[in-house]
Amino acid sequence: MDSAEHATYRAAIHGDRDAFEMIIRSSSRHLFAIAYGILQNREEAEDVVQDTLVKAWKSRWRVRDPEKFPAWLSTIARHRARDVARRRRPELLPHDLESAESVANEGADFDQEVHAALAQLPELHRVAVTLRYFEELDYATIESTLGVTNGALRGILGRALGLMRKRLKPALASVT
Amino acid sequence: MATIHEQIDELLAADLHGELSATERDALHAHLVECANCRQAFQEQKNMHKLLNETLADQKADTGFEQRMVSRFRDRVPQRTGLFNMISNLLRVRAVQLTALAALLLALAQMGAMITGESTVGPTVSARGEFENTQPRAALARAKSDANGRSFAAAARPQSAPSSGMVAQEPPPPPPPAQDKANTPVEGLRQLPSFVGSASTQNDSAATSEPAAQGPLDQTTPGPAANRKLVRNATAELEVISFEEAVQKITGFAAEDKGYVATSNSQKQANGKLSGEVVVKVLPEHLDRFLQKLRGIGELKNQALTTEDVTKAYFDTESRLKNARLMEQRLMEILKTKSKDVADLLKVEKELGRVREEIEKMQGELKFMDSQVQFATVTIQLSEKNMNLPAAFLLRERARLALYAGEVEKTYNEIKALASPKVQITNAQINRDNAGRVSATMNLLIAPEESEAVIARVKSMARVENFQVQTDRVAQGGGEGISESAKTERDKVELAITISREEQEQALQQTTLRIRTAEVTDRTKELRDLADKQGGRIRSSSFSRDPNGREAANVSLRVPMKNYNALMQSLNGLGKVENVSVHREDRIGSQINEADAPADITIQVYSQGNIVSEETGIIATLRRTIGQGAAALMSSVRMIGVALAFLAPWVLAIVGVGWVMRRIKRARAARKQRAEEVGGAS
Repeated sequence: MDSAEHATYRAAIHGDRDAFEMIIRSSSRHLFAIAYGILQNREEAEDVVQDTLVKAWKSRWRVRDPEKFPAWLSTIARHRARDVARRRRPELLPHDLESAESVANEGADFDQEVHAALAQLPELHRVAVTLRYFEELDYATIESTLGVTNGALRGILGRALGLMRKRLKPALASVT
Repeated sequence: MATIHEQIDELLAADLHGELSATERDALHAHLVECANCRQAFQEQKNMHKLLNETLADQKADTGFEQRMVSRFRDRVPQRTGLFNMISNLLRVRAVQLTALAALLLALAQMGAMITGESTVGPTVSARGEFENTQPRAALARAKSDANGRSFAAAARPQSAPSSGMVAQEPPPPPPPAQDKANTPVEGLRQLPSFVGSASTQNDSAATSEPAAQGPLDQTTPGPAANRKLVRNATAELEVISFEEAVQKITGFAAEDKGYVATSNSQKQANGKLSGEVVVKVLPEHLDRFLQKLRGIGELKNQALTTEDVTKAYFDTESRLKNARLMEQRLMEILKTKSKDVADLLKVEKELGRVREEIEKMQGELKFMDSQVQFATVTIQLSEKNMNLPAAFLLRERARLALYAGEVEKTYNEIKALASPKVQITNAQINRDNAGRVSATMNLLIAPEESEAVIARVKSMARVENFQVQTDRVAQGGGEGISESAKTERDKVELAITISREEQEQALQQTTLRIRTAEVTDRTKELRDLADKQGGRIRSSSFSRDPNGREAANVSLRVPMKNYNALMQSLNGLGKVENVSVHREDRIGSQINEADAPADITIQVYSQGNIVSEETGIIATLRRTIGQGAAALMSSVRMIGVALAFLAPWVLAIVGVGWVMRRIKRARAARKQRAEEVGGAS
């Protein structure tokens, strides 16, 4: 984190709305990626980002260390998304599993298959994948956003891609 | 490279993401060349990566996302007013929170102090008070030093005021230049007599400062002030050994200084001492020398010197006299030459008479002034030493007698019967208050030779609580002092008697005890009999019985001290004597007869009641425990109540403020929305 960012976070914590809006501009995409990684639904993810931002603004003074502000934001987003997911889980989960199987067998629609494969990954893995593929973030940024170490992130991403690769093997064969 | 093979997923992912270091990438690619499986995996991973990029790319947030987020954020979190925002932000800083808390506590404490009316700022107030006090003092000191400084300047002039204190009241005009001296003193002198008059009556200190003031005076008299008319007066108070001798000496001094004794009077006092006043006239230029001589006669107690300048009045009168003379001459001429009309003649004659009268009056005035100026008047007060020695002494005795009588009225009448020419009753009264208590006061005046006998008789009539005699030696014909020749006489003796009933007397000794017995009623009866036998009187008694069958009788009685021990011993026969406590109070200064002095005994005769008390046993213990528990609970409830009563107003106030704020906020939002709707509709 460079000093300009640091100053922005500090100002936002002390109630500077302009600074906070700058933060919204710079980090709402990351938050969206996180929420999407958990929910796999754009509308819901957008709502989660909204809620996260409002909640963060209201309780900004809880963060004493500006360094931890991005990680704190992403934590809020993850909790919020998890809450949303828990609420709708009963209807969607069976569908996800089923569709994953059927779609893989048919090999028709890649999007469906990829999503199904993604849905079966653990939460943190999904989030890491979406952060990487949505925003092309480098590892260092993802680490600071999710609060993990470099080695852990490599492991997470490697495992996630490996799992998906195995699951999508039939489909991948047809990709040239 | 086993490790690479094992970590192939991780490395492949990192490679595709471009996060491998150069050495890692080289190692990986070297491994891929060797390992077919991994090559296969690499190919698949590449496809996978591509696929993910393709599928997820269109899921990611669209380009207007950030803007949308910001504007929605603005909608959901409306901007607050600057001040409120600032305050709410400030309140989130820890230091501000602590300060605010401290301030709140302080405010509460202050409020409490205000309500209870205590003063927490006492010391500072008193300190300020002192400060204020010191200021005037400092100012006064400054004024004094100023006055001293000026009085020095004033002393340089002739006839200066001797007292600096008087000058301070009315600051003198700035010291005049030397060449004006001839004129200014006249002006200064006009206000001077009042200064000198009041200042010189003070004391020796004023007198000692006088020579300084007289010094310049002597120098000025022969100088430019030669034609000034000054009236000088002096008074002196002297204490001499012999009055006659002093008068002789004064007459001698007066003759030496070309003066004379004007008047002299004297009076003799009861103790044979003489005092009087001598008025001497001396020439003004010899006044100071005369006063010096006076000091040799006796002890100078007081001396004052006053000077009055009558120059202006003198010359005024003189010129008026001159005019009047001219007038007289004119009138005379008119009378001589133009004497035709009788009426005019009479008028002129009348006017002439008036003018002549005036002339005479003015001449008299001038003569008086001349005589005043010619001679200085010295008034000398003389008194012989030990003026206040008493001639005789009178011994005045006052006796005070306090009695306790069984029957107040009987004793009162007995004392009244003592009345005779030598024993006079000046005042006698008997009082009976609401409670039926009787007391009497009497004042007797007894001839000295009878006094001892009468007092002894009165004492024998009743019990004496207190007897005091006060003897005053009153000097006659003078003040206090010791005089060997003075006689001493006895005056009539005043005797003041107060008689109270014995009942009212406080017991010399108070005893409380308990007697345990089975039959309370019988024993109490026996106790009454015993008390009667020993000359005691029952003062109060009570009897009670409680539900447990316990009986108690309280008897309080009074016996004379001489029978006290006998009674106490006989009490042992009634039952088991417990808890004996004796309290004795020796009254200081009381000449009470101890054998007859009353002793109070308070006795409680009681029985145990039921053998097994309800106060023991499991049930009782349980009941007590529950009772105590309930009491503890109630007291804690009360504490909570107190805490709530303390906190509730504050909490209510805060909630109320919050509620109002929310109402305002909502109303504002509603108004904004309405405005938007209206805007959209138009």
